[in-house]
Amino acid sequence: MHSRDDTPLAGSAATESPAEIEIDRVTKSFGTHRVLNGVSATVRKGEAVFVIGPSGSGKTTLLRCVNLLEEFEDGEIRIAGRPIGYRRLANGRRKRVAEREVAAMRAQLGMAFQSFNLFPHMTVLRNVCVAPIRIKGVPPREAEALGKELLDRVGLADKLSAYPANLSGGQQQRVAIARALAMQPKAMLFDEVTSALDPELVGEVLAVLRDLVEDGMTMMVVTHEMPFARELADRIIFMADGSIQEEGPPEQIFENPQTERLQAFLRRFREGHQL
Amino acid sequence: MFDTLAANAHLLVSGAQMTLFLSAASAVLATAAGVLLALIQLYGGLFGRALAEIFLYVMRGVPLLVMLFSIYYVLPYVGLDIPPLAGGILVVGLYFSAFMAEVFRGAILGVQRGQWDAARALGMHGHRLMLIAIVPQAVRLAGPPYVNTCIMLVKGTSLVSIIGIWELTLAGRQIVERTLSAFEIFGGVAFLYFVICFALSCYGRHLERRLRYAQS
Repeated sequence: MHSRDDTPLAGSAATESPAEIEIDRVTKSFGTHRVLNGVSATVRKGEAVFVIGPSGSGKTTLLRCVNLLEEFEDGEIRIAGRPIGYRRLANGRRKRVAEREVAAMRAQLGMAFQSFNLFPHMTVLRNVCVAPIRIKGVPPREAEALGKELLDRVGLADKLSAYPANLSGGQQQRVAIARALAMQPKAMLFDEVTSALDPELVGEVLAVLRDLVEDGMTMMVVTHEMPFARELADRIIFMADGSIQEEGPPEQIFENPQTERLQAFLRRFREGHQL
Repeated sequence: MFDTLAANAHLLVSGAQMTLFLSAASAVLATAAGVLLALIQLYGGLFGRALAEIFLYVMRGVPLLVMLFSIYYVLPYVGLDIPPLAGGILVVGLYFSAFMAEVFRGAILGVQRGQWDAARALGMHGHRLMLIAIVPQAVRLAGPPYVNTCIMLVKGTSLVSIIGIWELTLAGRQIVERTLSAFEIFGGVAFLYFVICFALSCYGRHLERRLRYAQS
């Protein structure tokens, strides 16, 4: 079984590298319900940070705030040192920047979703190539070569001309990951990418994630796959009630949890699974 | 048995040609105005949205026949004398644009939220996001109700005969007044309307099949 410690950027090396994603006191509410309560976290270059926690704890919302699919009321998120979405004015107030600028920053982050969200009117290869060609201006032939290479990497070289409706959930999710990678992002965001899959299809998607971790891709992964998080994470963030309750290396989180909340969460999880 | 119908068939076919022209011209106007209204409703400013809403409520709330009478009797009083053919196309086109607008708005809103998220996450925004990710899916959703609205529009053109535009219905009426063979002639008129609308329905089905995603 692969361990994150085997990789060149693992462990302490990753913690010394520059910050790729910085989340600074981010607050977000849906109506009167506060989902993120001044959350701060950092993901360093080459680091795989896994976010765990009970449903409704704010994990997905936090991830969606990182590439501004959700607007947030306060705080700041920086990608490679540049704030995304808002600019702080001299009087301390925040100003929303133009959508074009936000889109350019989003293109630096890849994201894979729980429900895959492939474009159903495009073939697999077109799904992977469309953004590099139309957004980054990569020549079509070059983009197609990269797309084929990525699809080969996720084990779908024989599905180039297939449409998403003809693929299994696991295959669709692998295409979605290849599509995000085709933009050659600085970091990848994974939002419960195995939650919508049948149990027998989870393994093939986790294998792709494992491959990316081994490659040293900067990743922020929201997951309920605890054994997987334990195996591959450099650092685990435990969230509950819109706040980070505890964070640390997997050994600490799973073997020596400090907070009662995490202890209760792991106890409940172990009752249903063998961990 | 159908001697009168056979003797006047050429008149009915000429009327049907005019109906087709009226329908096509009105459909083009209705589609263009419908897309514009849908976009204003979805992305326009407060003032634009308010204007669009008022227009839609008026168009949906007043019968087409009353609209046509207004063009014919009311507008000349205020100094606007629009030729009947242009007036007919304008009224039918704008009237059905209100229904088209709802078809297009519903189709755009019907594209799953996740598709917008995926497109945004890939760095798309503005017209590129719409043209690459959303419009192709919205077109598929809009297809069946759009064809349905076009069929209603074709049948709606029969009302323009009351402002003196010579088309299929008026041609039929004139022949009946002359021959008194109402059953035969209006049977022929109904058959021609049915053929036009049936052809549209078949074309709609064909489009639906062509726009289907999965290529099995």
